[in-house]
Amino acid sequence: MMLARVADSLYWIGRYIERAEHFCRLSEIMLSSVVDQTDSARQAALIVLRAMGEDDVDPEAALRYPVGAVRDIALDREEPGSVLSSLAAARENARQVRDQITTETWERLNMLYLRITSPQAEMAFLQNPTGFLQEVIADLHLFKGAADATMSHGEGWRFLLLGVYLERAQLIARLLDVCFGDAAGGYVLNEHFAQLSVLRMACALEPYLRVYGAEIEQRHMITFMLFDPDYPRSIRFCSARIEEHLNALASSIAPLDGPKPDRLAGRLAARVEFADYDEIAEHGASVYLANVVAECSRIHEAVYETFVAYPLEERLPA
Amino acid sequence: MSSSAKRMDRALAPVQAPQQAEAVIYDEMFEANGEVRPAYAPLNAHVNKLSASELGDRQKTLERSFLLQGITFTVYGAGSSTERIIPTDLFPRIIDAPTWTKIEAGLKQRLLALNLFLADIYGAQKILMDGVVPRDLILGAPSFRREMIGLYVPHDSYANVCGSDLVRNETGEFMVLEDNLRVPSGVSYMLANRDASKRTFPEAFGAARVRPIENYPDLLLSTLKSMAGEWRSNPQVVVMTPGVYNSAYYEHAYLARLMGTPLVEGRDLVVHDNMVYMRTTRGLRRVDVIYRRVDDDFIDPLTFRRDTALGVAGLFNAYRAGSVVIANAPGTGVADDKAVYAYVPDIIRYYLDQDPILPNVETFLCREPASLKHVLANLDKLVVKAVGASGGYGMLIGPHATQAQRDEFAQKIKADPANYIAQPTLKLSTAPCVIEGQIEPRHVDLRPFILSGAKTVVTPGALTRVALTRGSLVVNSSQGGGSKDTWVLSEGDAGA
Repeated sequence: MMLARVADSLYWIGRYIERAEHFCRLSEIMLSSVVDQTDSARQAALIVLRAMGEDDVDPEAALRYPVGAVRDIALDREEPGSVLSSLAAARENARQVRDQITTETWERLNMLYLRITSPQAEMAFLQNPTGFLQEVIADLHLFKGAADATMSHGEGWRFLLLGVYLERAQLIARLLDVCFGDAAGGYVLNEHFAQLSVLRMACALEPYLRVYGAEIEQRHMITFMLFDPDYPRSIRFCSARIEEHLNALASSIAPLDGPKPDRLAGRLAARVEFADYDEIAEHGASVYLANVVAECSRIHEAVYETFVAYPLEERLPA
Repeated sequence: MSSSAKRMDRALAPVQAPQQAEAVIYDEMFEANGEVRPAYAPLNAHVNKLSASELGDRQKTLERSFLLQGITFTVYGAGSSTERIIPTDLFPRIIDAPTWTKIEAGLKQRLLALNLFLADIYGAQKILMDGVVPRDLILGAPSFRREMIGLYVPHDSYANVCGSDLVRNETGEFMVLEDNLRVPSGVSYMLANRDASKRTFPEAFGAARVRPIENYPDLLLSTLKSMAGEWRSNPQVVVMTPGVYNSAYYEHAYLARLMGTPLVEGRDLVVHDNMVYMRTTRGLRRVDVIYRRVDDDFIDPLTFRRDTALGVAGLFNAYRAGSVVIANAPGTGVADDKAVYAYVPDIIRYYLDQDPILPNVETFLCREPASLKHVLANLDKLVVKAVGASGGYGMLIGPHATQAQRDEFAQKIKADPANYIAQPTLKLSTAPCVIEGQIEPRHVDLRPFILSGAKTVVTPGALTRVALTRGSLVVNSSQGGGSKDTWVLSEGDAGA
């Protein structure tokens, strides 16, 4: 049993830290790939910009001065989508539920927040941009590790992870769409360097190599990032976790009218579990991925209606 | 002793007694002849082993740890906000056992009398009938809540958590400067400071036999539960906070975490059929005791201030119906009013037929014409306070003010005499503090915490507040004050 507001905050901490981590990783890869002045390096950088939804950014300008573009993505206080804003929001939520998370977990996040918002942050970033971003990623791993190792694996922890996996599923789906779907604009990702970059963007390179070896193929990439059961960023892995946490969370409450989040999650997990590459090949990746994203949004809404913003008259004590 | 002689570049030892000019002031550590008081002997022996740079490093480590833990208050500026830690001094203040025994007895006596006073003025009003306290002073006070009249409060415990402010005069006698019966804060600093001083002076801490305070959250929880014990076997307690933007939010979260109770905001609570519930992920859950850290004005927009979203509509009705406990009870503020303060010794005599163990500071009520005349004639010697203000605001420290400031204040007093009280400028005691790597005396006060439910308990420790500016007498954190740990020694120790 926990306050609905607390569950809401924990869920958003999960979403924000996952978003911050993903954006840091994409930015870091963009910076390291533009060092090569090749077409495929350029392609990787464009994928990053599109995957982050930076449609208003002029790609030519960003490519001429990538450090400046990444600085805006990382440290812009005014931009709600920046890494800094995500971390500030995560930390603000954590402060609201300070009594519900362990000191170890809180201090990890607070330390990171203080560092990235300090007046020295910009200078530290400009001196070593990729190093700065890698450190933020490492700190976020420490945060997740501290949460795993010190928080009770009860309701609060599940809401936190529910946020992480829902966000992750949507972010990876978006990334796959700009690589392989309609958003790729007909570009075929068949050049080795760009393929490597994309795998790194999803933290998939090493797990992928272990399964398929170094001969990278587009169909293997799609299959792996969508359907691999063990790689922790595959859509299948994420949806299995979402289902697992929602099953645990929903088991103790009486269902309300309307869509039940655990049922929606089970349906998504089953669909992904039993799908294969042919299904993608037949309809195109975009259709499939759009469906995943839409299902995630529906789960999000159902979570709210069930646990957070339920109508009071439905949940009066007996 | 020149000030350069006080500069200790390598070693701190020995901590030096205050300069002659300050010797009329009572120093916590040193006798008038410069000898270290017995209670401080173990600490003094251990401090001598630390170098100034070590102490400076420890101070920095401590500040860093406070920042990480989020023991901060937020300063809002144009467009941005920064978080600052409340300055904390590592050098503990020490109180020996006999002195503490008297403080403890005095505080218990005082809170008992004030609770009886509250029960009376919200009940039969005998004390007003008997003319011991002027009727208009009580009934006319904005902090008097007529809504509380005739309500049943278990154990007559209106103020369940009290943080009194004590000061020490030049003879070393403790006096009560203020009672805080509304939503006193600072207890989290007391506990955080203890943690820090234990890590800084482990040997001295062990040798001095300091009484533990770490069970404060347990005591608070059992005090709160005792308020609903008559009708619930295991009451659901919650801490109610105005929210994350409140300057004491850290403390609210801290207490909730250490008591293991939910930390709620007004929007988490709903009242249905005169019962209070919190919105949980599994539906509504009954709440029995609300330890509210929200002022009376903001707890229920239907009963108190209407223009607030912090509270819970219908909460006061549920309280009136007896289905929930609000701690502290609404309306306790009338008993810590700065003008009522002057009557507390009489209040103690009236209800308990005892003399006050802890004296008041002499207070002139400007509402009385003779006192008003005296105050206006002696503004350069007095501290004048507005009755309704707190936190060190709205006051004049006569000896430190300019003539123009005093003239301006005199106009205000004349315009609304009832709103002002005056007290002699106190020679607050000093205690050694670490100031930029050196040890220097600074003025301090003492805020102990008293819990009152089925029984009354005084935590053997306190928050010692420090005026960090040399010579300053203002210890409020909103006005550049800091704090330090307070060691209360066990009976039969070296300091006794």
